[in-house]
Parts: sequence; structure tokens; C-alpha cells
Amino acid sequence: MIADEPTLARLMQQAQGGDKQAYTVLLTEAQLWLERYYRRRVPPAQLDDLVQDVLMALHRKRATWDPTRAFLPWLAAIARYRWVDHLRKVYRAEEDALEDYDAAEDSEEDAVLARMSLERLFVHIPEKQAEAIELVKIEGLSIKEASVKTGQSESLVKVNIHRGLKKLSALVEKAE
Amino acid sequence: MTMTRAPNPMIESMAEELVPVRPMTLRSGLLWVALAAAATIVLVELVEGLWHGILAGQASALFWIANGLLLVLGLAAATSAVMMSGPRVGNRHEAPKWALAAVAVLPFAALASAFDSGTMQSPLSDPYGLECALHGLAAGLLTAVALTLWLRRGAPVSLNAAGLHTGLAAGALGSVAYGLSCPLDGAMHLGTWHVLPVVAAGLIGRFAIPALVRW
Repeated sequence: MIADEPTLARLMQQAQGGDKQAYTVLLTEAQLWLERYYRRRVPPAQLDDLVQDVLMALHRKRATWDPTRAFLPWLAAIARYRWVDHLRKVYRAEEDALEDYDAAEDSEEDAVLARMSLERLFVHIPEKQAEAIELVKIEGLSIKEASVKTGQSESLVKVNIHRGLKKLSALVEKAE
Repeated sequence: MTMTRAPNPMIESMAEELVPVRPMTLRSGLLWVALAAAATIVLVELVEGLWHGILAGQASALFWIANGLLLVLGLAAATSAVMMSGPRVGNRHEAPKWALAAVAVLPFAALASAFDSGTMQSPLSDPYGLECALHGLAAGLLTAVALTLWLRRGAPVSLNAAGLHTGLAAGALGSVAYGLSCPLDGAMHLGTWHVLPVVAAGLIGRFAIPALVRW
């Protein structure tokens, strides 16, 4: 059973105040809530990534929750927003795949350029994080496949992606 | 509460880096906008000089009505934009629509009164009209920047509406701020040239701001 609205709101208020224990409980509960929320709308293979994406959004935007208002409508709004964004990305990926099929040479050249540019970014983050991001976010492997290929545990792959993306986002303009 | 599941390392990682945050409340957002609007009025006083006839009772009733409606629109749109920084399923943002409809009466009233009095003049014959509109638009800049920064800190999920309402708020509050320096208080002047910045800023906001506040 997932925590009720008053409990979640209290935990979130404590988390905004810096209570790490309350925050751990809140995020665990939010994870369960999101898994249930998305279950019928997202393919099982994409569920983990999307839930992780929303948890990161919750983390980054936690100041936007007003303690005088309910917590779950706030979380649901973010979950919907990220879900729509996710669908957009999936659609783009399918479009890209079709374009690749029609014009293999051009897209291969584009891909090489993109990889070069990403390589420049990757030299600024730890190798394990770069490897996890490259395999899962660029080559499209699942967390499990990346785990097998790298010898890192699935959890470690997730942590490395989280930490690596955080560093990369700060490096986007700086890395040359 | 379900606590039997194995701990997620990503959650532990996020909890580790947790620092206290100050919640973005409606009150703090509105205070931020009020500061921008107050700074705009100070700038108008420094650059143009406020019209002292207002306090001396020389302003027409229409001056108060037009600026009052614009102020209501500005407050409604600014409140809506500030609220959008904190998303919530179930949020409704209807107030600016009704306030905009009320302001839209002004140009019609100007035209109707001109027809009735038989002294129909084109708004284009107003030598100060364009200047007022452009200055009113420019006076909305600080409010637009303040709201955009607020939205960028926030988590807006209705991006187009957030852009539109930011533009409407900036245009309306800018028009009011600049209007405090304008002694032209006729129906045609107020109903056209002081409403135009609202329309222009609304359109600019609708198309320029969503890309700036996307997250």
C-alpha cells in the first residue's frame, strides 16, 4: 500500500527542509506510485527509465511544490509532462530510424560528427559514467544489457547514468 | 507504507545530495512581480515623469476605468503565470481570459463613442499614439523578464499558456506604468494605443517564451 496524500505532503515538506531520511521514504513511495501510474500507459521496457526521469524531475524541481497545496496533483502534473515528453522522444527516435534507413551514408556521417562532439564532452566525466550513458542513452541498450556488457551491476549503471548526466548537463556549454 | 522493497541506489544518491530549498509560493512570486512593476514605475518617473494631474484630480473617469481594467488584467495574468511555475493537475487559468475580455471592451467603446458623437477620427491621426504604444510595450520588459525568470526556476507544464499569460501581464502592467505619465485620457487614445501593448506583448510572449521556460 502506498502512503496517503497527507503522509506524502508531510514527507515532502520535511524534504524541502533538508530531511534526508524523509526524502528517501518519499522518493521510494513516489517510485511505487509512478510505477502504478504508468503501468498501463508505458511499455514495461521503458517504465524504469521514465520513472527514473520523473524522480529526477521531482528532485530538481522540488522547490516548486507549495506546502499549502496537495502533493499528488503536483507529482501527477510532472508525471504527465514527462510522459508526453517521453512519447515525443520515442516518436523522434522512430523518425530518425526511418531516415537512417533511407539515407544511410548521410546519417552515418551525422552520427560520426555527433559522436565526435559527444566524445569531447565525455572526456570530462569518469569513464564508468561515460560508458553507462553511451550504452544506454546513445546505443539504446537496456540497463540489464549495459550491466552485462560493462560488468557493472544494474543499480550501478543507473547511478552512473544519473551522476554522469548531471555532470554532462553542467558541461554542455563549457566542454570544448 | 511499503518499505519491503530493496533500496534504489539512485534514490539514495538523490537523498545524499539533498539540500534545503525555499518553496516557490504564490506570495513570493507575486512579490517578485510587484518589485518589477514598482521598479518600472520608478523608471517611468525618472525617464518621462509621472503626470501630476492624476493626483490633482484632472484625470477623466475613463482614465481610471481604462487603467483599472488593465491593472486587473495584469494582476490576473501575472498571478496565473506565477501559479504555473508550480504545476498541478486540476489547475485552471481562466481569470486572464475574462479580464482580457473586459479590456477588449475599451477599443469597442472608443469606436462607438466616436460614432455617436459624429466626430469619427482615425486612431492613426493621433500624433502621440504610436509613441505611447511603443513606450507601454517597453515598460513591460521588466515584468516580462521577472516572470520568465520565475518560470524558468519553476516547473511549468502548460508552456504556451505560460508564455501567453506572461506576455499579457507584461503588456498590461507596462501599459499601466507608462500610462501614469500620459496626460491623454480620451476614449480613442486609451482604447487603442494603451491596449495595443497588451495585444503585442501577448503575441510575443505566446511565441517567444515557451522555448525559454521549457525544462
